[in-house]
Amino acid sequence: SASAPPLRLSSSPELNCARDTHNDLPWQMRSLFNNQLNMVDLNKLNTTHTNIPKIKEGRLSAQFWAAYVPCDTQYKDAVRQTLEQIDVIHRMCHEYPEVFKFAASSQDILDAFEQNKTASLIGVEGGHSIDSSLGTLRTMYQLGVRYLTITHSCNTPWADNWLVDTGSEPEMHGGLSEFGKQVIWEMNRIGMLIDLSHVSEKVMNQVLDISKAPIIFSHSSAYSVCNHKRNVPDDVLMRVKEKRGIVMVNFYNDYVTCSPTANISDVADHFDHIKKVAGSSIIGFGGDYDGVTRVPEGLGDVSKYPDLVAELLRRKWSEDEIRDALGRNLLRVFSEVEEVRDHLNGTKPDDIPIPLKEVQNPCRTDFGYQDKSSSTCIKSFYPLVLVLSLLNKLL
Amino acid sequence: MTKYPLIDGHNDLALRLRMHFKNKLSNFSIHDNSNFATDIRRLAAGHVGGQVFAAYVLCTAQDKDAVRLTLEQIDVIRRMCTENPEMELVTTAEGMRNSTKIACLISIEGGHSIDSSLPALRMFYQLGVRSMALTHNCNTPWAESSASLYPNYQRKNNSLTDFGKAVVNEMNRLGMLVDLSHSSWETARSVLKHSTAPVLFSHSSAYAICNNVRNIPDDLLLLLKENGGLIMVNFYSSFVACSHNANVSIVADHFDHIKRVIGAESIGIGADYDGAQGFPKGLEDVSKYPALIEELISRNWTEEELAGVLRLNFLRVSFYLFFKNSYSLLSCSQ
Repeated sequence: SASAPPLRLSSSPELNCARDTHNDLPWQMRSLFNNQLNMVDLNKLNTTHTNIPKIKEGRLSAQFWAAYVPCDTQYKDAVRQTLEQIDVIHRMCHEYPEVFKFAASSQDILDAFEQNKTASLIGVEGGHSIDSSLGTLRTMYQLGVRYLTITHSCNTPWADNWLVDTGSEPEMHGGLSEFGKQVIWEMNRIGMLIDLSHVSEKVMNQVLDISKAPIIFSHSSAYSVCNHKRNVPDDVLMRVKEKRGIVMVNFYNDYVTCSPTANISDVADHFDHIKKVAGSSIIGFGGDYDGVTRVPEGLGDVSKYPDLVAELLRRKWSEDEIRDALGRNLLRVFSEVEEVRDHLNGTKPDDIPIPLKEVQNPCRTDFGYQDKSSSTCIKSFYPLVLVLSLLNKLL
Repeated sequence: MTKYPLIDGHNDLALRLRMHFKNKLSNFSIHDNSNFATDIRRLAAGHVGGQVFAAYVLCTAQDKDAVRLTLEQIDVIRRMCTENPEMELVTTAEGMRNSTKIACLISIEGGHSIDSSLPALRMFYQLGVRSMALTHNCNTPWAESSASLYPNYQRKNNSLTDFGKAVVNEMNRLGMLVDLSHSSWETARSVLKHSTAPVLFSHSSAYAICNNVRNIPDDLLLLLKENGGLIMVNFYSSFVACSHNANVSIVADHFDHIKRVIGAESIGIGADYDGAQGFPKGLEDVSKYPALIEELISRNWTEEELAGVLRLNFLRVSFYLFFKNSYSLLSCSQ
């Protein structure tokens, strides 16, 4: 419940302009319209948290759109479905060029701001989308993807997810496997932001140990305020500060108040807490709009960011601190990740595949692997296998 | 050939990298490698100015991890072509024409790579793929292969379904070459009637000279001529001589025959090196292209005709389709 009506800022426009790192509108495009964008007009759509008029009203100046596919696609067609989500984001941007400007760099975000458009970026939500393949990671980067959430709510063959910390799923790797570390370093090398929302606590800490670049939590809140395992504990908040990363606060009621209801003030409590523990340089907005069903009263859709900013101002946040949270922190992290990439330019791409035994499943062919764990028996078959494969190829 | 460096339509080095090195480029010597038919030294000796590298995955991956494997093959070709100073990756016809290095183009060999998804096709285009063979040796749910090795998706009288036509339409719209090598003749016939852009056979030869189903009968050649497309002749012995014994002369017979039926301006070269074992004597690897050109010169082919075969015909077709990146999703504000 609100006290006085929220203040609307009348000072400089940057104070109104939020950069948010997680919105699931693309998933709504799939669920509601099977990605057939010609069936929807984003200027008029009113069954989602996000549409163009609300984006304008909320002064959303940059948005990472989530290219998300559910965990039950893992070991099936996760890769293809992820490509389809990446495609729908590109097409959405293409359909509404006066509103969206596709962005793939920190400079692109600034350029979009100059043109008064919403910079549109892509984050792939879940390591299952790359099917344990560094080649796939690299090609997704080529397609404009700029963050990968290491897990969604399922373990991958190389990383554990947050459900492991609740006890409802068995731990598989104690955090990251060796291949998981390869993924992290390859992401550093190519300049892909590492997103730790949805991962287990051990993964959080191990990534903070080994990453050469700052990391992000694209949509997670503060564990001390609401002790949900999707949130970030204080010791990790402090490590994020040390590594100059960011935690983008999620607005989902269940993560804000640990209950089905919440309001703007409850969300602001998370901002206050994180600022107290680690400073305003690690905070931002990761609303999770259109990815969740219950959002706080007063933050019902993407037009409401200014109201949250007004609440922070009322809580004596300085304009500088607000600018940090609204977008400067994100830009800092993104630029630093790009610097690490540039610094590593000239190092070779990692081409060591995940060991076959860690990833074998009925939907995966082992094309290319020579099973070294077998003895000479396999080696003597190898020429025959080669000949058969070639016969297949050339007929 | 120094005046007209060759653009070859089909090379399977990427397949060899997967099979022998698991795509570990660091373990592979691309400059000089006698295990394969292709390396930089011999490409230079063969006067190759442009090469289409196939991102191929086995048909047994269809309905499994074909998409991921294709992304990995695209990645290995991109890495190979960007990590070596003698090579460069191109994605436009202009880039291909103006390159002073060995220009690489990426192709996909088999519609199973897109898992019946037009978005996946679009994303492959975004990754630089400029040509796709509609099938390899297996049918897709929407197109038919010339081979009947696999039981999937067999059907009668529906060699190119409505979705297949949608795939062709999208390829035309994007500016991706439709490659009919490996497709059944019926599928090829349907595509030649339906496509609004020139198509190609990236590595097929003349059925009249050697009656292998991978080769193209004269009536299809005539449809190809109407379409304005290109047939890039395959050198593999079993396809040129219908036997394991072949030589430069029999390969040249294919060129002569096709020229007689539809003219030299419809011909190119897609040798299929590293995609098969058993190439004609005198044409064993990528350094040997000049031997074929000399044979054609001795058969009174003119400089103009040979320039066409070597590169100008391919460039003409590519310019129609992907002149500059006129279709680009990454620059939607322009």
